[in-house]
Amino acid sequence: MIVNKELPKISVDNASIAYTNQDFAEPHLAVKDVTLEVSANEFLVVVGPSGCGKSSLLAAIAGFLTPQGGSIKLNGKQIEGPGADRGVVFQDYALLPWKTVLDNVGLGLKFRGMSKAERDKIAREHLALCGLADAEAKYPHQLSGGMRQRAAVARTLANQPEVMLMDEPFAAVDAQTRMTLQEELVRIWQQTEVTVFFVTHSVEEAIFLGDRVMVLSSGPGEIKAMVDIDIERKDRDLSSLNSNPRFQALRDEITRLVRQDAA
Amino acid sequence: MPVNKPFLHGQFAKRGIKAAKGITGIAVLFIAWQIGASVSGVSSYFFPAPVDVYNAFRDMMHKGILEVYLLDSLYRYVVGVFLGSLVGIGVALALGLNKAIAAVFAPLVGFFYAIVESAWLPVFVIWFGYGITTILTLLIFVVAFPILYNVLAGIQTLPIVYVNAARSLGATRWQILREVILPGVLPSIVTGFRIGAGFAFRGLIIAEAIAATSGIGFLIFDGAANKQTDRTIVGMIIMGLLWLIIELAYLRPFERATIQKWGLVTTAEQREVQ
Ligand SMILES: Nc1ncnc2c1ncn2[C@@H]1O[C@H](COP(=O)(O)OP(=O)(O)OP(=O)(O)O)[C@@H](O)[C@H]1O
Ligand SMILES: [Mg+2]
Repeated sequence: MIVNKELPKISVDNASIAYTNQDFAEPHLAVKDVTLEVSANEFLVVVGPSGCGKSSLLAAIAGFLTPQGGSIKLNGKQIEGPGADRGVVFQDYALLPWKTVLDNVGLGLKFRGMSKAERDKIAREHLALCGLADAEAKYPHQLSGGMRQRAAVARTLANQPEVMLMDEPFAAVDAQTRMTLQEELVRIWQQTEVTVFFVTHSVEEAIFLGDRVMVLSSGPGEIKAMVDIDIERKDRDLSSLNSNPRFQALRDEITRLVRQDAA
Repeated sequence: MPVNKPFLHGQFAKRGIKAAKGITGIAVLFIAWQIGASVSGVSSYFFPAPVDVYNAFRDMMHKGILEVYLLDSLYRYVVGVFLGSLVGIGVALALGLNKAIAAVFAPLVGFFYAIVESAWLPVFVIWFGYGITTILTLLIFVVAFPILYNVLAGIQTLPIVYVNAARSLGATRWQILREVILPGVLPSIVTGFRIGAGFAFRGLIIAEAIAATSGIGFLIFDGAANKQTDRTIVGMIIMGLLWLIIELAYLRPFERATIQKWGLVTTAEQREVQ
């Protein structure tokens, strides 16, 4: 496809997301008046206190729910539902219990009509990338939480979407694996045109990964700050990042923004 | 592989013990029955002993009646249960996945659910006459409802996140049905099938009693009408055994290979609280 650098990949215009509940007369407002542009191949990270509407915003971009007010566009076109152009890594994994890890990872390719041999080959590459090569024959219920999460990441990567919507994808993996996955994600993102919308609770992770970090206020979520991460990619080495003064300053700033609100 | 041997051995021993425990229950029933019949001293027409029943069984085997009856009943049962399952699953999918269909047809389905099969039978006989059409129609009716309601509940409780995941991977409606909904409701299909295929015996017995001149249901009623109670009891025992065979030889292995392997249902061993 033709990537128009001028046109934002995702544009959220004054969007509000409300949940209607039979028990309450008033709809519950989860996200309020968010306006946001994510350019092609940008890495945007979203942080904010629990319940502030991060997953809701992600779900609206994925096309699972329609914003009450405003609009959300992909490549300038109104989003009308989910599609393979926007891959999602769900907070609760959403692996299909009746498919092996290998078949879960190759599922998007199967939907496109790719042959079994071809999609197994691609799925295996992505499993290896996520450190799950030994688990391909297992069923999701036989995996640990962290392994499920990695399988979910592999499934989204294997489908090569234009946009990756990732909801705390590394929350359940150990520190070692998490670092590997973070580095791999950045590598993949750099090598491809993919645009990433990444939700996390970890400020350190946000700074390591993001071009920009969006801080949402506690519910209903509004954009509280948009922080540019002005550390060059080549200087973002996980082993030394902690002692980088710029990193420390950004970390303190973002942490303060998040905490102010959570209190 | 000598390392695996003790393990495998243990597995077989475990299965053997389980089977032995299952058979004990049946053995106790037969012994109590024989003692009860001998001690009470009532006529064998009124309360046949296991020995009488065995003799009736041998007699019918010898004359070749039993084989014919059994095959007739099995054929009706298998075809009826199969068609009834298809109808049940199909209607459940239509009602569960389409708002418009549900709005129009859900009340109708509820209405017909309440009209029991014994009320339908005379009407079916008038419409279709005595014979296979009436029997199969009745079986479909009996089998479809429990499957329908179970599958409908299964569709309603299937986590929507599975459907969303598939849609984000580019699935078409048809692919969602095949890869997500159908496997996702398999536990409900199995539960519904267990109830429906069990109910099918009721339908089969009364249908054969009225609309057939062969089969296990015919045997049961014909035996009782001709003071051959022992024959009736042969028919009853065959029904019980048939279900055990269906359960142990087909349903359980099917469950082990699917929903149990997928972690959608747990086993008694896993649930047991120590
Ligand atoms: N299906 C729903 N129905 C009603 N309210 C909902 C629903 N999903 C979320 N909410 C509400 O919307 C608000 C935002 O929820 P959301 O899941 O988007 O938060 P979040 O920022 O992702 O939180 P966390 O960091 O804990 O994952 C919360 O107040 C929550 O109670
Ligand atoms: Mg969330």
